[in-house]
Amino acid sequence: MTRMTQTICFVGLIALTVSSVLLEAADPRLTLIRPRGGQRGTEVELLLSGNRLEDAEQILFHSEGFEQIGIEAVNANSFKAKVKIAHEVRLGEHVMAVRTKSGISDYHTFWVGPYPSAAEKEPNSTFEQPQEVELTNQTMEGRIDNEDVDYFRVNAKKGQRISVEVEGLRLGNTLFDPYCAILDKDRFELAACDDTPLLYQDCMASVVAPEDGVYIIEIRDSSYRGNGASYYRAHLGTFPRPTAVYPAGGQLGQEVDVTYLGMPAAELKAKVKLPATQSEDFGVLAEDAGGLSASPNTFRLFPHGNVLEVEPNEDRTKATPATMPNAFNGIIQADGDVDFFKFTAKKNETWEIHCHARSLRSPLDPVMNLYDANGKGLTGNDDANRSPDSYFRYKFPADGEYSIRVTDHLKRGGADFVYRIEFTPVTPSIDLGIPRVTRYGQERQTIYVPRGNRIATRMTIRRQNFGGDVILSGEGLPQGMTMQALQVPANMSTWPVLFEAAADAPIGGKLLDFTCKPADEKQTVTGHFKNFADMVRYQNAQILWGRPVDQLAIAVIEESPYSLEIVQPKVPIVQNGSMALKIIAHRKEGFTKKIRVEFPFRSPGIGTRSYIDIPEGKSEVIYSLNANSNAAVGKWPVFALGLADGGKGTVMVSSQMATLEVAPPFVQLALERAATEQGKPADIICKVTTSTPYEGDATVKLVGLPHKAEAVEMKLNKETAELIFKVNTAVESPVGKHKNIYCQLVVTQNGEPIAHRLGSTQLQIDKPLPPPKEKPKAQPVAKKVEPKPAAPKVLTPLEKLRLEAEKRKEASQK
Amino acid sequence: MTNYRSLFTILVTAGLAVGLSTQGSSAQEGAPSELRVFPSDVNLSSARDRQSIQVQAVYPSGLTRDVTSEAKLSLANAALAKMEKNTLYPVADGDSEITVEFGGLTSKLPVKVTNHASDGPLSFRLDVMPVFMKTSCNNGSCHGAKSGKDGFGLSLFGYDPDSDHFNLTREIPGRRINLALPEQSLLLEKGAGQVPHTGGKRFEPGGELYNTTLRWLKEGAKNDEGEVPKVERVELYPKEAVMDGEGATQRLTVRAYYSDGTDRDITSQAYFMTSNDNSAEVTQEGIVTAGARGESFLMARFDTHTVGSRFIVLPKGLQFQWPEEIAGNNYIDNFVHEKLKKLRQIPSDVCTDEEFIRRVTLDITGTLPTVEEYEIFMADSSHDKRERKIDELLERKEFVEVWVMKWAELLKIRSDNQNSYKAMLLYYNWLKDRVASNTPVDQMVRELLGANGGTFTNPPTNFYQLERDTLKTSENVAQVFMGMRIQCAQCHNHPFDRWTMDDYYSFSAFFTQIGRKSSEDVRETIVYNSGGGEMKHPVGNRNMPPKFLGGDIPDVKGKDRREVMANWLASKENPYFARNLVNRVWSHFLGRGIIEEVDDIRVSNPPVNEPLLNELATKFTEYDYDFKKIVKDICMSRTYQLSTQANETNETDSTNFSHASLRRLRAEFLLDSISQVTDTDDKFRGLPSGARAVQISDGNTSTYFLTTFGRATRASVCSCEVKMDPNLSQALHLLNGDTVNSKIAQGNLIKRRLDEKKLPQDILEEIYIRTLSRRPTESERSALNEVLLKNDNNQQVLEDILWALMNSREFLFNH
Repeated sequence: MTRMTQTICFVGLIALTVSSVLLEAADPRLTLIRPRGGQRGTEVELLLSGNRLEDAEQILFHSEGFEQIGIEAVNANSFKAKVKIAHEVRLGEHVMAVRTKSGISDYHTFWVGPYPSAAEKEPNSTFEQPQEVELTNQTMEGRIDNEDVDYFRVNAKKGQRISVEVEGLRLGNTLFDPYCAILDKDRFELAACDDTPLLYQDCMASVVAPEDGVYIIEIRDSSYRGNGASYYRAHLGTFPRPTAVYPAGGQLGQEVDVTYLGMPAAELKAKVKLPATQSEDFGVLAEDAGGLSASPNTFRLFPHGNVLEVEPNEDRTKATPATMPNAFNGIIQADGDVDFFKFTAKKNETWEIHCHARSLRSPLDPVMNLYDANGKGLTGNDDANRSPDSYFRYKFPADGEYSIRVTDHLKRGGADFVYRIEFTPVTPSIDLGIPRVTRYGQERQTIYVPRGNRIATRMTIRRQNFGGDVILSGEGLPQGMTMQALQVPANMSTWPVLFEAAADAPIGGKLLDFTCKPADEKQTVTGHFKNFADMVRYQNAQILWGRPVDQLAIAVIEESPYSLEIVQPKVPIVQNGSMALKIIAHRKEGFTKKIRVEFPFRSPGIGTRSYIDIPEGKSEVIYSLNANSNAAVGKWPVFALGLADGGKGTVMVSSQMATLEVAPPFVQLALERAATEQGKPADIICKVTTSTPYEGDATVKLVGLPHKAEAVEMKLNKETAELIFKVNTAVESPVGKHKNIYCQLVVTQNGEPIAHRLGSTQLQIDKPLPPPKEKPKAQPVAKKVEPKPAAPKVLTPLEKLRLEAEKRKEASQK
Repeated sequence: MTNYRSLFTILVTAGLAVGLSTQGSSAQEGAPSELRVFPSDVNLSSARDRQSIQVQAVYPSGLTRDVTSEAKLSLANAALAKMEKNTLYPVADGDSEITVEFGGLTSKLPVKVTNHASDGPLSFRLDVMPVFMKTSCNNGSCHGAKSGKDGFGLSLFGYDPDSDHFNLTREIPGRRINLALPEQSLLLEKGAGQVPHTGGKRFEPGGELYNTTLRWLKEGAKNDEGEVPKVERVELYPKEAVMDGEGATQRLTVRAYYSDGTDRDITSQAYFMTSNDNSAEVTQEGIVTAGARGESFLMARFDTHTVGSRFIVLPKGLQFQWPEEIAGNNYIDNFVHEKLKKLRQIPSDVCTDEEFIRRVTLDITGTLPTVEEYEIFMADSSHDKRERKIDELLERKEFVEVWVMKWAELLKIRSDNQNSYKAMLLYYNWLKDRVASNTPVDQMVRELLGANGGTFTNPPTNFYQLERDTLKTSENVAQVFMGMRIQCAQCHNHPFDRWTMDDYYSFSAFFTQIGRKSSEDVRETIVYNSGGGEMKHPVGNRNMPPKFLGGDIPDVKGKDRREVMANWLASKENPYFARNLVNRVWSHFLGRGIIEEVDDIRVSNPPVNEPLLNELATKFTEYDYDFKKIVKDICMSRTYQLSTQANETNETDSTNFSHASLRRLRAEFLLDSISQVTDTDDKFRGLPSGARAVQISDGNTSTYFLTTFGRATRASVCSCEVKMDPNLSQALHLLNGDTVNSKIAQGNLIKRRLDEKKLPQDILEEIYIRTLSRRPTESERSALNEVLLKNDNNQQVLEDILWALMNSREFLFNH
């Protein structure tokens, strides 16, 4: 195994005076941002609340276009910030976190919409007493309490469109599953919605007013179970709200003709100019006289063009002709509809074939099947990758014509059941991440390093369609911070990485595109950091709402009151052996609290306790490591992580990156089985093989002997070939086969012990035989024994057992 | 303040006693009006064949008598058959006729003899297996179990003849059966009690059962080869009997019809049972002896078939006259009266208007009539006021809510870790919508059982999400929609019903192709037709084709099996569907099903009034499964409107609806009534304040009160989920618990009335009407007025009276 230490240093430019006051780092928590959203192109004042936020300095926006223009603490747990939202900001959900002087919070989201905001005003909880609102495009910021229903009344002219779109569950506060309806003055429901594929658990409704008059918009939780955190943003107005766009993708840099579908009146056609470069979260916005749609329809950017289905194409013979790698687009228009496309493929070409439907927020749950020219089914799929969408990778067996079929899983169909099949070549990819330490939370998903101290973390490296060593880049770290990480071996998917902040590093942080690349320079793929901001869970276990994030929040924070050190062992740990690893806490004066120490990264085959405590006032602890018989031999980077109560939250630091060497055992011991009677001694013969010569004497003792059985510790050296353990038993020693007897062998090197656990045997202790009853028969036996040479032959255990068995047999026959 | 409470309780509960009196009787005899001869023909088709003949005389009074031994039986061609007692044995092939004469009446039946000389070897299944059933060898308390019991492996009730044959002949060779010396086979020696046998002597040495077994052993103890005729149906004679006094006897004859067209007299092989040995005892020879007055269902079991006849036992020489003035309100009364006439019982009088308004309002809406409703109804003197009241109540939303609650219990609508509250609420709302819009039940059931899609987007799919086990699902469908408990047949042929393991697994085969996959929302599951998956029979591991219970094998190729099943289930072709539903409705209004328990419909638990049940089912089908119409029919009937007061002829009746029964209020009705009386609101999760307990959507929502009073947990589909038994906790909770007391305080009704300057006497009247829908009686009024006069604190006295009324049995029961 070759490894290269890679250290990238950024020398601190500004030397700050280190405060002599003991500052305590903390772990800030962000639980709510209010208001839950704002209009693009405006300035908003946000109230961010959670825990330990009084020293907040910066909001880390995961998207472009947000500018923090002022910050002001409110109390220990919240602060106000003025934020400017650029007009170019993508509409929808944006992730942010807060950096304080003492840490980085977990993720939270903020929503950007196109309309000005207005506040919901109670009482509006009955149909008879609604809140009056103008029918102009606006966003109501409201909240649903338990069994609460909010009603809004608008005046509409005949033919005027009334639209409502609610952001509720997606705001990520709580399990609030909104329902909305548009009612006429007689309470007749013109449109109602609980969940919609377009908006997940959220809802939307859009109608054309059948006559002049008042209309009521109702918003509530679908099961009347709102709570104090059930905030919503309801876009109300006359805006167009298409449920789908067709086609739902186009070629990068091109202008595409699209049709917006699923609106109450006529469909809407438009031309869309697509960006030249790939971007996540791309969507298109419908616009007409009623205004701009409240949120975009998902639209895929693709390097190739489009093929649109031509009906009728419901069987293979009428399949729409198409060419790969253009994307095939279609709509499953009615219940039972089936679409076929035919195309040619070349022998041995392998393609990733995705049918995008739900990922486009289409109601379609596609089932995709591939057939050859004779109609023979080749492969198919309903759901893949935890999504209703279909996917398979296929290697075409021969040149020729193939056809692909799409239908709905439940044989449903509709005007907005849009789908799109994309063919992409198999490409390598790498994702980086930080493994979760708590099952249901974002703890330790960010990096914040106290000045003059260290933080290490494990990182996961997920390779797809690719194998080999990986080098972590660590470019762009905050000022005064360095990273230490060995090259990640091909067979490892988790790896320790250490970040160190200089004592004079300025307090500050950023979002970092944390990357890696293959050690093999021929591979061009770049890996990026990926994480998931999970926001709403069901029964505390399954995720109902969350959002991927692709930048690592990293910061230098105030000093911590202690640091940790692993005393670098001078000897290896051997397979089937153990090691007492010493860990020292360097406490600042006055800091005496208990420090919890973890040992997060364990090379294959190394095991230990999940944590151990350095008691209050103490500064050392022994962390016992064990290696199993298959522990991977080599030199491994390891670190210890400390967690201590800093007074306002947990303060976390780590030790330096130490090296743990795992070696094969120096010595092999083979123990013979032995048998004896209660009170009699037994010899356990032990064959010694020395595989790694060592200096001086090693000590060995038998462990696991039964009650009142004893053997003295013995010495051996690299020349020793055989040992005999004299085991003394007592009459009280229990009868039976005593397994689990083994040797504890300690070789001393460089003044440190190397503990081995070797051999394994069994000692059988029997009851003494009853005295023989008939003596006459015993005499001839004695005579026969006489001529035998009295050589002190040591019987092997097997021979002994046989002899004893014979004796017992004889005794029992008598 | 509770000083007067015990006094009041005694006072207000005195009105509910049911009087007792004795009855007179005298003899009744004369010439018979009808002669019934069973069976209707005689077919003797082998040398071993025989047929016993039964003669039953019917007298004008309706009494029947077994006159077989007194009747004169003469065979036209005496050369064809030999007559011993009442049994014919073949002598020569040919056709003839038997003439039966008694009491001046004659009857003729054809006789046919074929193959009189043929006496082939015995069949293991047809001849020997019935011996094990008749002697109880293969029942659960002896050797019958999955792999046998007590050292001898017989399948329970003979569900696996091949394994039985194997165990008889191969398990302990040479000992259990000894083909060299058949008489010394342990099988015979133990059965005949010649050697010690835990089960004692099961048959006589030399008797028919012994001889059959012996002959089979002598013939080599062979298993059947090839196709063996199946028993297609079994008939028990006589079909009914009305026996005159204790000690009267009636012989039973059982005949089996086989798939090869032959029939056999199997009286000696059938196993006889009675549902009420107090009234009619039966011996294993098939002789019924009358006991105390009452009804009994006599049953014979043979092969997998159980058949029965209804016997009525009357006191010897009972005098009876049906009062001419009693006329039915509708068809229901006609059937009930027909039955009562047979039982010599006169229905009670019609209940008072006060009783009627309370009863019908509680039954239809689950609420008490308000004071205003009471006053309007009592002031109305028109003759059709009861009908108009029923019509009015049926239009109330509370009627819908009661039935939604009942369906929700049957469909187990209850959230848990696997089923989210939202899914259950949507399911409940779907149900509410269907019941409220008066969707015909057949359509609703088809929608439910054939449901595909997401548990949120198509809520009836929750039926398959709440129960994911295939066998349990099929059991639930049978129990809910056909009222049958087929669980027994999972492991053995049903001992008291017609269902075999084949029936069970073939019915379950409709539910083997339910696909389930997760939706994008973790709380939702998508239920769909997976199109694959078969049901295996545990004996022989063969695939079972889907077959309707008691119906055909449909074509399911390429179809959604559940849709096929649902279409049959909720159709007129399914004889059980409408009967089950009307029986459930009947049970709600009369306190007892025509078949009781309502979900235990089986051959051995027959309806007490078969024609009534059939007619109700026919009407329900004609009404297009419209609940309201059938409920109106029931409520309009005189039978429903009877008083609870029995007369001397019907005081012992508890099954034939000759008088109304006292019915404990179910938990939801009781709590809602207490809240209504005290003018207070309840708050349940997910419902606005003031919602009623009947409206609770999720079975997981409950209160201490509801749980104590036996609210259904909705953990199973069983009708037994609703507990109607009284217990100490209930009594203590009403007396001392926080419901009645604190609701009186919370509602503050008395103080409000006093503040309105109402007279205490008027308030007293109001609280009587509120709780009991009647005014106080004169004695109650004077006693309570006296207490009111003696005390300055009228509020306390009146509150105590209200408390006492709510603790009275008159309040706790619907009567």
